[in-house]
Amino acid sequence: MQAGQLSDAMKRGAIWGFIVLELIFFSVAGQYLSLSDSAFMDLDNMLLLLKQSAPIGIIAMGMTIVMVNGNIDLSVGATFAIAAIVLLNSMTWPIFAGLGDWVIPVAWLLALAVGTLLGALNGLIVWKTGVDAFIVTLGAMLGYRGIVFMFNGENPTSHLNWTLVDLAEAEFLGLATASWFLLGVTLAVWFLMTKTVHGRNAYAIGDNREAAVNAGIRVGPHMLINFAIIGFLAALSAVVFYSESGSVNPNDGQLYELWVITAVVLGGTKITGGAGSVIGTFGGVIAIQLLRKGLGHIGADTSTVNLVIGLILIAVLFLDRQLNVRGKEELKV
Amino acid sequence: MKLRHILAASTAFLALAGTASAETMKIGITQNNVGVDSYQTTYEKAFIAAAKANPDVETVVLDAGGDVARQIAQMEDLIQQDVDAIIIWPTNGEAVIPAVRKAHQAGIPVIVTNSNIAEAGFDFAASFSGPDNITQGARAAEIMCDKFKDMGIDGEARVVHITGQPGYTTAIERAKGFEDRLPEVCPDVTVVDTQPGDWNREKSQQVMEAFLVKYDDIDGVYAGDDNMGVGALNAAKAAGRDGIIFVGATNFAVGYEAMAAGDYWGSIYQSPVDDAEAALQTAIDVLEGKEVPFLNYFDTPKITQDNMGEYEKPVF
Repeated sequence: MQAGQLSDAMKRGAIWGFIVLELIFFSVAGQYLSLSDSAFMDLDNMLLLLKQSAPIGIIAMGMTIVMVNGNIDLSVGATFAIAAIVLLNSMTWPIFAGLGDWVIPVAWLLALAVGTLLGALNGLIVWKTGVDAFIVTLGAMLGYRGIVFMFNGENPTSHLNWTLVDLAEAEFLGLATASWFLLGVTLAVWFLMTKTVHGRNAYAIGDNREAAVNAGIRVGPHMLINFAIIGFLAALSAVVFYSESGSVNPNDGQLYELWVITAVVLGGTKITGGAGSVIGTFGGVIAIQLLRKGLGHIGADTSTVNLVIGLILIAVLFLDRQLNVRGKEELKV
Repeated sequence: MKLRHILAASTAFLALAGTASAETMKIGITQNNVGVDSYQTTYEKAFIAAAKANPDVETVVLDAGGDVARQIAQMEDLIQQDVDAIIIWPTNGEAVIPAVRKAHQAGIPVIVTNSNIAEAGFDFAASFSGPDNITQGARAAEIMCDKFKDMGIDGEARVVHITGQPGYTTAIERAKGFEDRLPEVCPDVTVVDTQPGDWNREKSQQVMEAFLVKYDDIDGVYAGDDNMGVGALNAAKAAGRDGIIFVGATNFAVGYEAMAAGDYWGSIYQSPVDDAEAALQTAIDVLEGKEVPFLNYFDTPKITQDNMGEYEKPVF
């Protein structure tokens, strides 16, 4: 048992160890290679890191729930783009013309509602048809992206509202708006997954769906709720990000699903479900952004980021497998 | 390569022990999507070479990989690193405006390169250095119209149009220049269909394959750049459809060769080396306090089978 606990602790700690390694490497390398006079671990730079992690990070929290649940959602990037379009476009609708700047919260709510509905639709199809979530959301990824292109052709959808930009750029207690949302979502999902019945059911279903059904958990509605949550969070990510940028390309959010899944897997969530932690995912998100930022800081080619993350992902999964095998063997003896 | 360059630059810098630090200009660049096509790859190489050749300049060269969020993060990083000037090749001409404003507020001049940001951001940018894409689109329309007149089909010719990456200002401006100018010079020529080819040769070839199935009569193809134009040409060749007039923009080596072979009619000559050097020079001029026009265009002339001898084959 002790060995099992040890390997668990190692697995949980792996991502943080990796982050420390990155920090040390980029701090030392930055001394020699960076043009910047300020240190890599400068407080402002680290706060900026937290803010830049928000778009991927907020969605990754939802992906953790869905993956622990034994499912996956490939449509988050497309949902992200649709929510962004709803957010920016609804501000120009004539019915809201009388609202002035009060149109902003209305647009936020509309975007979030659309994201939640699209997520729930995925969940409903998975529930009612029993088709694997991978296939359902692969279809949704293509379909939702199709809607994005139908909406405005190849053109970007834009609405630059400086009040909105100022709101998004505002800082409270030294943290940017986006950082607050990332931290808030992390805390909320952590609470959901560790302190509520819903969270415990998510682990139970992901671990053994049949046993969960036998235990009286209503698996279908449970999964529907989780897909609605990730849809909501994909929309929230879009709301946070596009409030600050005011224009969405029809191909924005492409490959986000892969970055998000990478962050979740780096954070130790099992791709087959049943195990994983929100805090680990947070670490995975930070690790990816740290790599992007650090390699830029030392002047390395941006494309090396993808290579390095790919190698690390495989290394993490290999390590995970080794630790699991060792844990099981110890139990047998 | 970049790593080595910066390593070399910084060791040289250390050797000088700070004596030259006041003179050196730190310039950061965030590019759109290096590696997606040979223009952007050649641009990056030319930019690094030009920066290396100038002892007063140190550069941080970044690439957004086509992702707006990553480009905004890179802008924030460059502001954080306190560079002297930022050159941006926007992934989206509007989405980056707040980030450009942030740099402006931090007192860092921003030079927009290759494709401009939207007008709402003009107040925050020091200068735009790049080609005049609307004129390029218009010139492409003129090349095509002149050829139709020579052939005597300007009364009934039908044209299909393959545009660049969706949402991308260059794509939108070239399309606008072409579509506005064509009815002025050739009022009886119709544009029967428009589809994006994403600056990608394979994508463009697929788009053209679909056009060829859909339309029995196509007299001309306008593609947003030669890379896509050659993709369309390949589709027409494979389908055995002759006599189509292909006009592109940004003359690539493949387009130049196809012109020499007589398959491809014309294009707009635009050198990424000129583009990169103009961007760096604009940034240096701004930092040295020289008077720089806000729209700092470099010339991009027409090139067709008739006058291609006057131009060197593009290196990319």
